Amino acid sequence: MNFKDYLKIERFPSSWCPGCGIGIVVCNTARVFEELKLKKEDITVVSGIGCTGRAAGYFNMDTIHGLHGRAIPLAEGVKIARPDMKVMVLSGDGDLIGIGGNHLIHACKRNTDITVICNNNHIYGMTGGQRSPMTDKGIKTITSPYGNEEDPVNVQGIVRANKRFFARTTTFHILHMKSVIKEAIQHKGFSFVEIVSNCVENYGRRLGFKNAYDMLLNFKQTYKIVKDAKELEWDEIGIIK
Amino acid sequence: MQGNEAVAEAAVKAGIKFYAAYPITPASEIMHVMAKKKDIKFVHAEDEIAAVMMAIGASISDGKSMTSTSGPGFSLMQESIGMATMTETPLVIVNVQRVGPSTGMPTLPSQGDVLQSAYGSHGDRYPIVFYPNSVSEMYKYTIESFNAAEENQGPVILLSDGFLGHLYETVELDKIDYKVKDRKGKKFGTGNRHYTGLISKNGIPMTKDTKVYREWIKKVKERTEKIAKNYAFYEYLENEKSNTLLIAYGITSRVILPLKEKYSIFRPIRMFPVLEKELKKISEKYKKIIVIEMNDGQYKKEIERVLKREIESIPILGGSIHLSEIKDKLK
Repeated sequence: MNFKDYLKIERFPSSWCPGCGIGIVVCNTARVFEELKLKKEDITVVSGIGCTGRAAGYFNMDTIHGLHGRAIPLAEGVKIARPDMKVMVLSGDGDLIGIGGNHLIHACKRNTDITVICNNNHIYGMTGGQRSPMTDKGIKTITSPYGNEEDPVNVQGIVRANKRFFARTTTFHILHMKSVIKEAIQHKGFSFVEIVSNCVENYGRRLGFKNAYDMLLNFKQTYKIVKDAKELEWDEIGIIK
Repeated sequence: MQGNEAVAEAAVKAGIKFYAAYPITPASEIMHVMAKKKDIKFVHAEDEIAAVMMAIGASISDGKSMTSTSGPGFSLMQESIGMATMTETPLVIVNVQRVGPSTGMPTLPSQGDVLQSAYGSHGDRYPIVFYPNSVSEMYKYTIESFNAAEENQGPVILLSDGFLGHLYETVELDKIDYKVKDRKGKKFGTGNRHYTGLISKNGIPMTKDTKVYREWIKKVKERTEKIAKNYAFYEYLENEKSNTLLIAYGITSRVILPLKEKYSIFRPIRMFPVLEKELKKISEKYKKIIVIEMNDGQYKKEIERVLKREIESIPILGGSIHLSEIKDKLK
């Protein structure tokens, strides 16, 4: 099956802004489905609310688009009821780490066999560019106009606290992203993939990036691929399991 | 058998496949019984929001599911009740009420969540709510709640209270009359359906389309009205000498039962949609109608709305109910 068969191509162009990273995540997730030769009957995608929350609706299979912050328990309900299915969560940093943070901790604790893909664009995009739990210290957003005074959430620390599969990649490192998603899907037990992603419209633009290309170039220059690490530094991408 | 145990045992009879909940007095015994059932997927969730969301995920993807809680947890579940409505997902939520607001009086019984059960979640909805008054009725109406949820493709609320939940009564299971409605529809995974809390048509969000919304809500409203007719449960104890009708439900209707010697009593079991037709017909001949309930006149407002006449209220507040107190207030 071609990766396009996993997507509702008739719904494109998508509702996302030009220069958004979510399309890259969606497309490459479908490409991984193709590479793993997964049957559509055996997969479902569950998402929460926000820009990335719309992702589930573009997959050409039975999918669920839940409530803000509740993608993980919704997906766990599916997985526990239907252990025969591969259950993917595709949602954003605000949804999974902010409002839904408690569920993330407990999904790690339960080690539910689902793969959570977090499109981390460091911002609340859909609501207009407010600070997210993953916004870096010092960054100016419309709800931190004098610079963010708080540190971002250490999501790696949360996932690794119970020694669960954690990976980080970016929307620039496409081959790396695919290999990471592939390994996460094949991993037995809970897996979490943080994809550092570009939101130029409500984030990058205000930081001085002229376009999505500039943001991707920044990911290229900032992030280094590491192998066999015990812990990823903030500027490293790779897998820890 | 205990009221809460009856709910759990009846859920098994109704064919439940998945149950998730978070401990809360006076509802926890439902969880305790479910935890032991090996054929049922059971999750002790991290909170009530997770519990109800898991139950929704399980219902969409597999089959009948339920969660149970008390007031504080029921408040947390409100947003998810809306999602079950929008995604047209069958789901049973049991609320064993205690005194609120907030943590209130843990865990004295109350009937303070009656209006919340119908109006708690945002947006327009047309919920089906039942409220039995004995342990054997808890059993029967748990099954009817599952049936109504399947038939109406949406959430059904089963109300109980701290008294009923913890009440022990002898139940003759083989004398309880019920039928079980099975899950219908195509297996999850075999299509390209998109279950979303957004207004949508054929799996595509239609968030700016007023016409699609109006068509959808009309469909849901009409379906609920039609299906609720099959579940028009109530009890009417007529006293021909009385020109006063007492209305009470749940545990309150048990407490006031001796008053049937002096008054007529109407007991709704289907709380919502309100039994309009039945109430209009029965209430005609009474000069006075008094609603007795363990809240500050919540259902009285509903009865006033339906009958469009003045209704008296005897509120029983603070978790304690005595027949002598009610008799005094009736004088």
